This record gives sequence, C-alpha cells and structure tokens, in this order.
Amino acid sequence: MTEILSARSLTVRYGGNTAVHDVDLGIGAGRMVAVAGANGAGKSTLVNALAGWSRGYPVVSGDVLLDGQNISRLPPHQRSRGGLQHVPEGKNVFSELTVEENLALVRLGEDHAGRFLFSRSEVIDLFPRLHERRHHKGSALSGGERQMLAMARALLAGPRILLLDEPSVGLAPRLIGEVLAVVRSLVDRGLPVLVVDQNVRAVLEFADELYLLERGRIVGHGSAASMKNDDRILKAYLGDLAVKGDLQ
Amino acid sequence: MIHYTNSVEVSSGDGSIGRSARYRKSASLLLMVIGCIIVYLLPAWLGGSTVVYGLFVTIAILSVMALGVDVVLSYLGEVSLGHTIFWAIGGYAAAIPSTTWDVNGWTTAAAAIALSVLAATMLGLATLRTREFVFSLATYAAAVVVAEITFNTDALGGSDGIVGIPPLHLPFGIADFTGRSSADLWPIAFALLLLSLGFVARFRRSRLGMQALMVQMNAPLATSSGLDAHRVRFLVFVVSAPITALAGWLYAYQRAYVGPDMFDMYFLTMMLTSIILVGTRILLASTIGVTLLLIQQNYLSIGGDGNKVVLGTVLVLMLVLWPKGLVRLIVDAIKPAVRRRQTVELNDGEVSLRKESARSR
Amino acid sequence: MNVAQQAINGLVIGSGYACVALGWTILLGAARLVNFAHGQMYMLAAFICWFILTRSGIGYPLAAAISIVAMALLGVGMQLMMGRLVMTQNLTSLMIVTLGFGYILQGVAGLLFGGAPHTITTELVQQKIQFGDVWFTSQELLIFVVTLILYGVVWLVLQRTRQGAIIRSVAEDPKLAQLFGIDSRSVYIAIFVLEAVLVALAAVLVAPRTPILTSMGFEEVIITFVIVVLGGIGNVGGALIVGMLLGLFTSFFGALVTPAYTTAAIFAVLLAFLIAKPEGLRTR
Repeated sequence: MTEILSARSLTVRYGGNTAVHDVDLGIGAGRMVAVAGANGAGKSTLVNALAGWSRGYPVVSGDVLLDGQNISRLPPHQRSRGGLQHVPEGKNVFSELTVEENLALVRLGEDHAGRFLFSRSEVIDLFPRLHERRHHKGSALSGGERQMLAMARALLAGPRILLLDEPSVGLAPRLIGEVLAVVRSLVDRGLPVLVVDQNVRAVLEFADELYLLERGRIVGHGSAASMKNDDRILKAYLGDLAVKGDLQ
Repeated sequence: MIHYTNSVEVSSGDGSIGRSARYRKSASLLLMVIGCIIVYLLPAWLGGSTVVYGLFVTIAILSVMALGVDVVLSYLGEVSLGHTIFWAIGGYAAAIPSTTWDVNGWTTAAAAIALSVLAATMLGLATLRTREFVFSLATYAAAVVVAEITFNTDALGGSDGIVGIPPLHLPFGIADFTGRSSADLWPIAFALLLLSLGFVARFRRSRLGMQALMVQMNAPLATSSGLDAHRVRFLVFVVSAPITALAGWLYAYQRAYVGPDMFDMYFLTMMLTSIILVGTRILLASTIGVTLLLIQQNYLSIGGDGNKVVLGTVLVLMLVLWPKGLVRLIVDAIKPAVRRRQTVELNDGEVSLRKESARSR
Repeated sequence: MNVAQQAINGLVIGSGYACVALGWTILLGAARLVNFAHGQMYMLAAFICWFILTRSGIGYPLAAAISIVAMALLGVGMQLMMGRLVMTQNLTSLMIVTLGFGYILQGVAGLLFGGAPHTITTELVQQKIQFGDVWFTSQELLIFVVTLILYGVVWLVLQRTRQGAIIRSVAEDPKLAQLFGIDSRSVYIAIFVLEAVLVALAAVLVAPRTPILTSMGFEEVIITFVIVVLGGIGNVGGALIVGMLLGLFTSFFGALVTPAYTTAAIFAVLLAFLIAKPEGLRTR
C-alpha cells in the first residue's frame, strides 16, 4: 500500500520535555486513520508536527514524507500549499473575517498531481449551512459551523491528505456523527484522513485503523475492528462497564 | 528563571547551612568591600586628571539613572520611556531651589525625591491599566510633552535652562562637604551609586520585588492568588522614579547647569542600551553597560552623530543577535557545563515571557 | 479670529496628521508592531527629498518618488533584520529595536545633512488659492486631497480585496494564517514596506510646509500615537476622523490659547481618555 503521508522517527521536544517520542506512522491512500490517547499523550503535538506547525516553540526531529517527498524542512505554509491540509484544534478560522473571506484566503497551488480538487459547489453541498451564513463573521458562527468552515477551507485548498485535530470538540452529540460521516464520505472518495479525537467510540465507528499513543509513544496499532477489542482501548475509552462485561 | 541571577549567590548558601556558609558569606562580603575600595581609588590610580574623574562621575550618575529604568524593565517587563521626566525633575529640583534660595544639597535631594514620586504617582495612575506598547508610548508621550512644557516655560528657564548652580553643599553635622569639580564630587557619586545598588538589591529580595516578578511571569495566576497586579505595577513604577531623579540631581551639580536637553533621546537610549547590552535582572547591568558605552563615547568617539549611530546599532544588534545580553553570552561561551542547565532555564523563561506577550484575545 | 480660516488650517493640519499616521495604523493593527522610528523615517524621507531637490535639477514629483522608493528599500532592510522578533511576536524587544533604528537614522541624517534647518521649496507652496477672506496653498490642497484618496484606497484594499483579507488574517492570527498557506513573514515585510512608503509619502507632502531639522520626528510619533489610540488601533476610518479633529483642535487651541503648548494639550486629551476609558485601548 502506498503511503501518502508518513512519519519516520518523529520526535518533538518542548524545553526539556519530550512530548512525542520516536513515532513512525503512515496513512495510505483512501484510509481513515485515527490516533487515540489520553489527555497529554501528545496527540495534538504529533499532528501539529506533521504539519510543521505549532503555537509554541517545539524542537522537531525526524522526517515527514508527503507522497514520498521529504517535507521535514518546509515551513507550514508551504506544506499547506503542497496539499497537506491541517485543521487544528480550537481556533481554526478567522473570527474577524466573514465566511466568504475565510474561504477566499485559500488558493490552490499550481501542481494538481495527486490532489483532491473540490469545487465551490461541492463544498457547499457538503456544508450547506456555510452558504446561508456566508456574510457572517467567524465570531458569529457556532462551534459546529466553525468546524465546517475550517474543513471547507481545507477542502477548497485541494488536499492530498487531511489532518483533523479534535473535529468533534464542542459539537452537539448529534452533530459529531454527522461531521464524521461527512469525513468518511470524503475518505470513500479516496482522500486519506488522519483524525485525532477524544471521542474514541465515535471515531472507531468510522475509521479504518487506529494508533494508540501513550506518553508520546505509539503503544498500539491495528485495524479499527481489532482495536475495538483491545484491552487498553476498552479500559481507557469505552468505559469500565465494557471491561467488566468482558470479565463476567 | 526567577532566581537565575541569584542562583550563583544562593547556591553557596544552599547546601550546608552552618559554618562554611557563614564563612563564604563573610568572604564574599570582604571581596565586595575590597572591590568597592579598588573602584573608589581607580580614578586616582588612572592619573587623577579632571577628565578621568569626570568620566567616573558621569559613569556613576548615568548608571544610577539607568538603574531606575532597569527596575521597571527587569521586574515589570515593561519599557518605561518616561524616565527622562524623573531624570529632569532631579536636575531641576537641584537647580531651582539652589539658585533661588541657596539651600543645601539635602534639601534639593529631598525635593528631587518628593517631586519625582509625585510625578511617578500621577503618571503611574494615568497609565495604570496600560501595558506593553501602550504603556511605553504613553510614558514616551508624557516625556515629550513635559519636555515641550519645560522648553516653553520661562519659570523653568525655558529653552536656555538654568545656569549658575552653586557647588554641592552637604552638611554632615560635624563636617561639611562642599564640592564642584568632578574630583570633589566623585565620593558623592560613588556613594550614590552604592546606595542605589544596595537599594535595588534589597528591592529584589523584598516582598514587592517578588510580587512584581510574579505579576510579570503570570499576571492571572498572581491575581488569583490574591495579588493586586495593578497595585504592584504602580508601586514598582513609583519606587523606580526617585533612583533616576537622584542621578539627575547630581548631574545638575556636576554640570552646574540644567536645561531641556535632559530630555534628549541620548539619555533614553543610554538607559535602555546599557541594560540590554549586559542583560536584564543583573544588578550591575546598568553600571557595566554605561561604563562600556561611555568609554566608547569618550575614548573611541567618532563625533556626536557617529556616536548616535554606534549607540543605536549596539541596541539593535544586541536585541536582534543576542537578546539575552553580554553576560549570558559570555557565560554560555566559557561554561559549557553550566550552559546546559541555564539554557533550559532560559528557554523556560523565554516561553513564559512570550506567553506573556502573546496576543490576548 | 477668522473662524473659517482657522477651520481650513485645522483641516490642512489634520489631514497632515492623518496622512502621517496612516502607515502606522495599518502596521500596529496588522502586525502589532510599534515603530518608534516612525518619526525619524518621516524626517529622513523629507531630507532625501530636500537633498535631491537642492543638488540636482530634478523636479519635486520625481524627487518625492525617489525618496519614497528609498524609504521602501529601507523598510525592507529593517524588517529583514527584525524578522525573527516579529514572527515570535517579541513585542517589547521589537519596540526597543525600532527606537534604536530611530536613533541610528537620526545619527546618519546628522552625518549626511548636518544640523541646520532647511526648507523644501516647491512651487505648490507658493501658489495661493483665495476664496473671499480665506486662503490656502496648492500644497495644502494637495495634502488634503491625497490624504482622503489614500484613506479611501487603503480602506478599499483592506476590506474588499483578497490582499486586504490576508493582511487582516495575519493581524488576527499569524500562526493560523500559515495553515491557510499564507507566508506570514512576507506579509509582515509587505506591511512594513507599506508603512515606510506611506510615511515617506506623508513626509514629502507635509514637510514642505515647515522647515525641516534632523532632530525632528518626536511630535510626529506622539500625534500618530494619539490618533491610533483614539481612532481605535488598526481602525483606518477612525484614524482619519481623529486626525482631522486633532487638526482642528490644534488650529483653534493655537489661535485661542497658545501655539506653544498644543502637543501638551493634545496629550492631555489622550491622558483623559486613558484614565476614563482604558478598555478603549484593547489591542484587539
């Protein structure tokens, strides 16, 4: 299987602390890969490092390959222009700009090889709410609408791969499934997606494979189906009841 | 990071509390006394000419001047561009009473302290809620405006300033001090420098000094633990003013003249450059910085405008290339073992400072 | 007192203020960069224009253009040096760096042009336009018109173009802008060049009205600061209105009270604002 995005010995340090330790991972074409782990396990640090981006000042070592090309030395805006689209956790749209302006910031690069191109109308079809609110400022949007806007922006940029950090945070439970279903539909069209989410139960419903991260290291990796029955996942994310149920 | 500059001193007293610590303490005290005596005698050893004494007195005066700014910069993390006001207040407080009523130096010094505290209170209250560049700009604007008022007010000597300031007269009960020349003024200038350094050293360990650091490091945390951040910032600002004012006070006696040129950009740039050249939160930073800069201006001078370029370039290059200052640059270069420990501390500090300045939204 | 004449003077002074403040308003709003060298850049641009006018046969428009280009290059150089500090948003250091740059520029100007006052003579300054008992010069009319056009153009660019949206996005969150494929660092350079160009343009327009000195520039910083704070940081429309109002204030205060303390009076207005409405100073 060809890997669209892969990391080799990726290590991220903050000051004296190592937040991500020697991580290898790969995301293949048309795969939806999830990363799970406790709070502070380094999930966000890991995806941010793949995008070469951070709000802090980390020291990153190791290699990141996009379509076989080493992009470790590229700044984040060049990775973005190259099709590595990252939707970070938290603030991920401009609140002083309207929906229209947020989307207009995006420009498709020259090189379209290997990229998934979405027309404006396709994106609007996916997120019709955005069209209704196109003249509203980012600050006037609800959490779910901002998440949609952030994803719409990433799609318009012609992604080779999409990184999503906590897409379900702050969403109503009903919306979580909706957003993940949209993501799944994109994956089914061939777009590889790496998703980090607290809501492991929901993510496991949609993802193909899952990496388990503990204290910055990968401690488990397998298909979503197999990981569903992994003790550590059951214990940590699917609740004690499930474990007890197993024991009885 | 908080204790970084103290760590060298503290570490000696850290391990074994007892004899060895006490010995080390008295040994360092002895070293300090010897050092002070050497510095005090230095101008005489260097030939004792008027030029040498003039340089030493000026170094002492400008060091004290910069020390006031250093308190605000190092302990509040704010850049005060209004300290030339206190500097000028000191000068005019020496000039006007001594020329008008022929009062002695104690009276004028008291006036300098009182007036600078009053001015700092007013400016501090006006800028209480401002931070970062708004604070700097407000203090800067205040300085430009006070300069304009001074320049245009005849009662303050107008653009000509005030000439004919009598020699500094300080009655000490049994003996009187009277001095005009730089050689005469050197003991006073040196004493003023030591007193100011001692005052700031005490301030660093005082409650207010600690609180100021807490507010600078993490204002929300300091506030939530019961500190009134505005009050702390205000007090530190007020405390810093008389230090700079006393420097201006002595400067007036040294030159026997004061004028609106005390608001010149030169003094402001000297204050900032001397500290940034050496590093913040280093007690002797302003003294070392002023010494280096004045040696350039006196012995390696390339003309007034050329010296401006030098001074400005030093300021820009230090901040762009070695923002931690010369002391840490040298320490890093000669002590690789110590360095590792420090870079961690420095990095931590950097992060917290940056967080501090990160956008508030 | 001729009220109409004072009002005209006020509008002329005010458009000069607003013109000088425009670049900084954008710079402060977009990059949160406080440029203390602003006043010295104004001074240097005026002197370059004066130098070209007196030492060559080149006319005023071309001399002004050369001065503007020179300042743009200077702006690129300054921003390249400050680049790292800008990206890490080390605002305190940046502020002091620009103060140092200002001091360097003052020294360089002193070395090149000496300490004597000079005048930029343009034909437009001598052309009087008279309406009844009020008059103004062509230069003053030019300042007024160009300022209004500049504000209009800048407002349109910022609000109606993609480039403007990019500047506003970087102003709001330079890190997030990177994920949108925007090279924040180049945007900062562009904004700083814009500041240099606008302050140079203001200098070549406004400086011919009064004698120029290498030691000038402080008042320009103070007035710009007042305009930016009262107008709302980064608010272009606010800056224009406040600039004009301050001009009228200066004109009438000078006529009714004394011209010697106008800067002080303007600053008193600012202090009152700082005390009464500190939340008006939100940086965002």
